Amino acid sequence: MKDLTEGMDVSAGAMPARRGSTRALISVGVVLVLAGCWEAVKALFDIPIYKLPHIHQIFAEFFHESADGQWMLGILLENAAVTAGEAAIGFLFGGIAGFGLALAFSRSSLIERGLLPYVIASQTVPILAIAPMVVVWLGTSWVSKAVIATYLTFFPVTIHVLRGLKSVDPDAVALLESYAATPAQIFFKLRLPACLPYLFTALRVSATASVIGAIVGELPVGSQSGMGVVIINAAQYYNWRPVNLWGAILISALIGIAFYAVVALMERFIVSWKPRTEGEATA
Amino acid sequence: MSFAVEVDGVSKLYGSGQGLVRALVDASLRIAPGEFISLIGPSGCGKSTLLRLIADLASPSRGTIRVNGKSPREARLAREFGMVFQSPVLYEWRTVLRNVLLPLEVMGVPAAEARDKARAMLNLVGLSAFENHHPWQLSGGMQQRVAIARALVFHPPLLMMDEPFGALDELTRERLNNELLNLWQEQEKSTVLFVTHSIQEAVFLSSHVVVMSPRPGRIERIVDIDLPRPRTAEMRSQPRFFELVSAVRQALREDGSEEAAHGG
Repeated sequence: MKDLTEGMDVSAGAMPARRGSTRALISVGVVLVLAGCWEAVKALFDIPIYKLPHIHQIFAEFFHESADGQWMLGILLENAAVTAGEAAIGFLFGGIAGFGLALAFSRSSLIERGLLPYVIASQTVPILAIAPMVVVWLGTSWVSKAVIATYLTFFPVTIHVLRGLKSVDPDAVALLESYAATPAQIFFKLRLPACLPYLFTALRVSATASVIGAIVGELPVGSQSGMGVVIINAAQYYNWRPVNLWGAILISALIGIAFYAVVALMERFIVSWKPRTEGEATA
Repeated sequence: MSFAVEVDGVSKLYGSGQGLVRALVDASLRIAPGEFISLIGPSGCGKSTLLRLIADLASPSRGTIRVNGKSPREARLAREFGMVFQSPVLYEWRTVLRNVLLPLEVMGVPAAEARDKARAMLNLVGLSAFENHHPWQLSGGMQQRVAIARALVFHPPLLMMDEPFGALDELTRERLNNELLNLWQEQEKSTVLFVTHSIQEAVFLSSHVVVMSPRPGRIERIVDIDLPRPRTAEMRSQPRFFELVSAVRQALREDGSEEAAHGG
């Protein structure tokens, strides 16, 4: 009898908070297990520091003072801010451009048939090959990096939003037409809200891609700052100080995770009507 | 006398050559204002096609349609149609109340007035308690009641229903039949065009049942339903109800044998 009431207590009300803390526990657990594996493998196979440093060495590196007396973490964060800014601008313009293309494609199958193959082809070209040319054309300022971030951002948005716009129930359109709705009303009351879940699926992908784009844009010679520059330098001096590169990788990953989290948070507020399913990833 | 709907020699063809589909051939029909007309027949008989032609969701290949003396397009632009489809077609990002508000928003009704009307309508279909729910939180029958509230909230002179209860179980369907008639009898009676494949439903609801047959889709016969109004659930078990159901079934079967003769 006692067991039964306890079980019911869990099913009512107590569940969401419990689920949230369980998820946090799992996240922390995964990090701990991975760290454990890292150190275990290192100890087991006697891997030298230049191949795989200790985890505590990487964190210690953040507080290592550079030649001009600044903590490495400060230098990393300054560069991370530069990269994040470029990625954010690229993400914004990529989102707008991707959405515009999807709209154009959904309006006219002629435009879709004519242009879509080139849009797809544009994504098959290795970004590493294009980046140096963009930098040559546009200079080494933030503009060229943002353009490369845009280039990686717009494609998922175009593909997903196009699918969202096409998924609109014809009867839902017929309904609005039976009210003599204007094309603008059909767009704002039906097509736009209907494609929002698709847009956010794309933005989750694009959020991390835009950070990659900005970093790749910083790799060519001539760039002064950003995580790409840090990574190139750290790679050059890897044998001398391997923890530098690992620290740079960690910070770069955190930018991507932060971008993803912002998008996921926006989605939760904007697409709030959707039933939240078990499998759905939440940052 | 002026008619709510006049259909005169209307045909609708799709495709061409070998792939030509004669969805509807030479249909003629006159509906007086305030009548409840059911279109019944097997799939492919053109009943939904006829509804969509009248609602200006498609245009006829031949023939003319007049709605209250206007062309279907003029009638649509004058907002004379309330539409209910087989699936509720609720906008899932809108709450129940805001779904019912949708036509009023499109038509530019002031917000406060629109809200009062939508709430009154939700009260009539018994869903006041659910106005802030989202569609996915409602059962299929409740969703279709929201769709009916949305169709009636602006008092359209012509209510078009395309198999609205086709996806519901028998018990829910009978209950919604009663509710629909109550709604229709309470309000100033609009003209209703109701597509169905249920004989009982057609007989229970209608003043006339239009029996249609497939390949090519055409109007076969019109059965007048002389059950008195207001109709009550008890009438479903009265002899006259069964006679009329048999008459409609007979009309449908005649089409079937004819089709077999043509096809054989």
